[in-house]
Amino acid sequence: MSYLEYHLRSVPGGPRKILYLNWPLVLLLVTVACIGFLMLYSVAGGSMTPWVLPQIKRFALGMAIMFAIALVPIWFWRNTAVLAYAGSVLLLLLVKFVGVTGMGAQRWIDLGFMRLQPSELTKITLVMVLAAYYDWLDLDKTSRPQWVAVPVALILLPTALVITQPDLGTAILLVAGGAIMMFVAGVHWLYFAAVALLSAGAVLAVLYSRGTEWQLLKDYQYRRIDVFLDPTLDPLGAGYNITQAKIALGSGGWSGRGFLQGTQSRLNFVPEKHTDFILTILAEEFGFVGTISLLGLYILILFFCIASALRNPDRFGALLTLGVAASFFLFFAVNMSMVMGLAPVVGVPLPLVSWGGSAMLVLLAAFGLAQSAHVHRPRRMS
Amino acid sequence: MSRAAVRVPLRPLSRILAARRRGEDPAAIERENLRRRHEQMRDRTRRRAEGRLLALGALFVLAFFVVGLRMGMLAASDPQEPRASAGGGSAIIAQRADILDRNGRILATNLVTNALYAQPPLMVDKEAAARELARIFPDLDEADLLKKFTSGRKFIWLKRRISPEQQQLVHDIGDPGLLFGPREMRLYPNGRLAAHVLGGAGFGREGVHAAEIVGVAGVEKTFDAYLRDPARNGQPLQLSLDLTIQAAAERVLAGGMKLFGARGAAAVLMDVRSGEILALVSLPDFDPNSRPAPPVRGPAADSPLFNRALQGVYELGSVFKPLTIALALDSGLVRTDTMIDTGGPLRWGRFTIRDFRDYGDRLSVDKVVIKSSNIGTARIAQQIGAERLRGFFSRLGLLEPTPLELIEAPGARPLWPRKWSEISTMTVAYGHGIAVSPVHLAAAYATLVNGGTLVRPTLVRKEGPVAPGPRVLSPETSRRIAQILRRVVTEGTASLAEVPGYRVGGKTGTADKPKERGGGYYEDRVIATFASVFPVPDPRYVLVVTLDEPEDATGEEVRRTAGWTAVPVAAEMIRRIAPLLGLRPDVEQGAPDRLTLTSN
Repeated sequence: MSYLEYHLRSVPGGPRKILYLNWPLVLLLVTVACIGFLMLYSVAGGSMTPWVLPQIKRFALGMAIMFAIALVPIWFWRNTAVLAYAGSVLLLLLVKFVGVTGMGAQRWIDLGFMRLQPSELTKITLVMVLAAYYDWLDLDKTSRPQWVAVPVALILLPTALVITQPDLGTAILLVAGGAIMMFVAGVHWLYFAAVALLSAGAVLAVLYSRGTEWQLLKDYQYRRIDVFLDPTLDPLGAGYNITQAKIALGSGGWSGRGFLQGTQSRLNFVPEKHTDFILTILAEEFGFVGTISLLGLYILILFFCIASALRNPDRFGALLTLGVAASFFLFFAVNMSMVMGLAPVVGVPLPLVSWGGSAMLVLLAAFGLAQSAHVHRPRRMS
Repeated sequence: MSRAAVRVPLRPLSRILAARRRGEDPAAIERENLRRRHEQMRDRTRRRAEGRLLALGALFVLAFFVVGLRMGMLAASDPQEPRASAGGGSAIIAQRADILDRNGRILATNLVTNALYAQPPLMVDKEAAARELARIFPDLDEADLLKKFTSGRKFIWLKRRISPEQQQLVHDIGDPGLLFGPREMRLYPNGRLAAHVLGGAGFGREGVHAAEIVGVAGVEKTFDAYLRDPARNGQPLQLSLDLTIQAAAERVLAGGMKLFGARGAAAVLMDVRSGEILALVSLPDFDPNSRPAPPVRGPAADSPLFNRALQGVYELGSVFKPLTIALALDSGLVRTDTMIDTGGPLRWGRFTIRDFRDYGDRLSVDKVVIKSSNIGTARIAQQIGAERLRGFFSRLGLLEPTPLELIEAPGARPLWPRKWSEISTMTVAYGHGIAVSPVHLAAAYATLVNGGTLVRPTLVRKEGPVAPGPRVLSPETSRRIAQILRRVVTEGTASLAEVPGYRVGGKTGTADKPKERGGGYYEDRVIATFASVFPVPDPRYVLVVTLDEPEDATGEEVRRTAGWTAVPVAAEMIRRIAPLLGLRPDVEQGAPDRLTLTSN
């Protein structure tokens, strides 16, 4: 069923829409954000400045954006998907030329009042354009090679631009998010198996070529792999973060040291402790119970998204909701794995908890799209 | 379009007719069918989509369990105590091993100092702190500091290394936001001594509580991994250098360089049997404690960082003649008394080979070396032939970078004619058209006079007697060459090299410097080299001294040849270091003749 066949009358209109929002999801988001405020309060040593207050303001702004997006009919978003995608790719190109270099990578466009990070924006627009594409495409054609090539190109174009910034973390999220969307849209699983096999082969080739004439990576890149596999090799450099993070997690134990009682994290042992490594604070102060609860909240958010998608007969809306869920999933899965030493350190924040505006606004905007899909889903006339 | 669209509702015609006969509406039935088919299709995709969603959900659940399990494991692991108070990561400090000379005296060691940093959020009185800091460290600016402190930054490095006195003064400011991070630094207690061998070290990755020391040049870089290897437990690296001899050599060379107004100078002292280098000097030098930045302009060879003894690849001139003669003697082409045609000038194609002076029509082979006749050497080289001469030089290691344990060594590639024609053979025989470093030359001379076995130059102290290398020359040839070299000093071009009691032998070499931009040679700029061996007849050491653009302006005419420049410097050096080497002065026969009766 496409939006042209909506029983328009069954879709709530006007201010009544607010009643039809996915309120449990909103509640979950607020809960997670509150955990983030608590953690930032703790990192600052029990102070609202310098992190908590700006974070609350940004969250409020994000929620406002979410509601605004949620109240706009979903068909508007469907019709503007391609435009949004093209716009974000243009911005990515623009950032290559006029971007501000920060932290060794060129990622920002300075708008004066805020700094825009197009690569964050791309995360949403890619999901939108893929959802719109599969909504437009005949179901029978989904697995035909030429129709698989189109979304692959759509994913790889911004990925290539992001990789050259260089921002490996975002590139991984884009590719993985796009792949999950293609999987959910029903592309034949053999494609995924083939890609998995090829990348496994590539990884083996890279590892085995080491030390030979034709080795595929630079020596320092191999050393990074070594450090990932065994952080003790480089306890002061890249391994430092991971080792200290693990120590912090270990020092939290099962129930933690108590709020504001963490030592490892607050004594500056864990770098980036208010951004990418904020999980260590939670782990130290609230222990295993705290972290598993946060993980539970995240999973709950995902399942609310899946439930909403299942109830949504509109293909665009359902795919969009799932894409948002997948992006969200990748965010926290990559971040948590990184902090716990299950994945190499790439700069991915813990969603809604880490300090940082761009990511949070974009995430809430994405949930706004999911809400819009939920509110404007076609309903059967009973 | 029309056919496909129309055909569906007409199928099968009989059914439509039958329905019409029953009084039903075939169009309605068709619509119903269409709806059902749509629903079937939708259900199919729905099922498939639900399958995919199930897989996605499974992925989420799996991730939940993996991450949860890992969290559990980490939470259950023994909580490690903070490594804070001890000055985190102290385990890694003090891991870089010392470097010693051959007698166990320290060339490089470590010293713990502190780095100074500020954490403005913790600071009590930023104005006072900035003022006091500017007073303690004159190179810091008060206004600049205050700006940094108030800029909202959380962490600011102020000084990489501070002295204990400075640390005390900063401590006395009493501001909790000024903090110290322990820093281990590399210390070279002898300053400039052996600077080019040691190279220097710098900070690698830097954390707040420790910084890694990495070698940036010289043996510090060559043996970087070795010095830092935790498995070696800080055991020092012992070099072949002798600190005392190195110091004496540097002082004499610096004096000689100043005396002759040379741009630079180099000296290499090597044990002829083991190849151990006892002293390696390159001037101008630098202090490895504060290694200067590499020059951005001008020729690299003018930088003090440039190791002339190793990287200075020059045409060294006549010092090559003994090598050529040794091959000729060894292969039985000539004997020391064979007469060689030295009538000149020798024209070969468009080249002309001249001698410094006209030595008459013929000279014996030993005289060719003693008088340093280019023409005679060229004629002998003609007899030897290109292939054999090239093979011999190659065996002596003159055509490849030396295997010396310095990181710079592989880059110091000798220059020699790729197309080894007959004329190149003739010029290479007396050291023109081939450029090698003083270390190359020292190793070749060591091979020449140690009985004829190949020597590998090394900077690492060898324990016990060293097994001789492969034989290159017969012991007989080696002995003869040593004697010829001795006669160069007693009756030839190197008469100033006579050091009573140490029976020095050697060969001078003066080569015009090539112009940097190509296009021939300078007429008034030379590289003067003296390659000496002592004590003859059984030499134990070889000393190569090279001066870059020396001039002796004390006489009536400006003298630049090695005999007047490099030779006296080398003689002075030998006079100083021979006793340090434990050589016993041995007054030669005939010396008593010089005694003068003062009373009778």
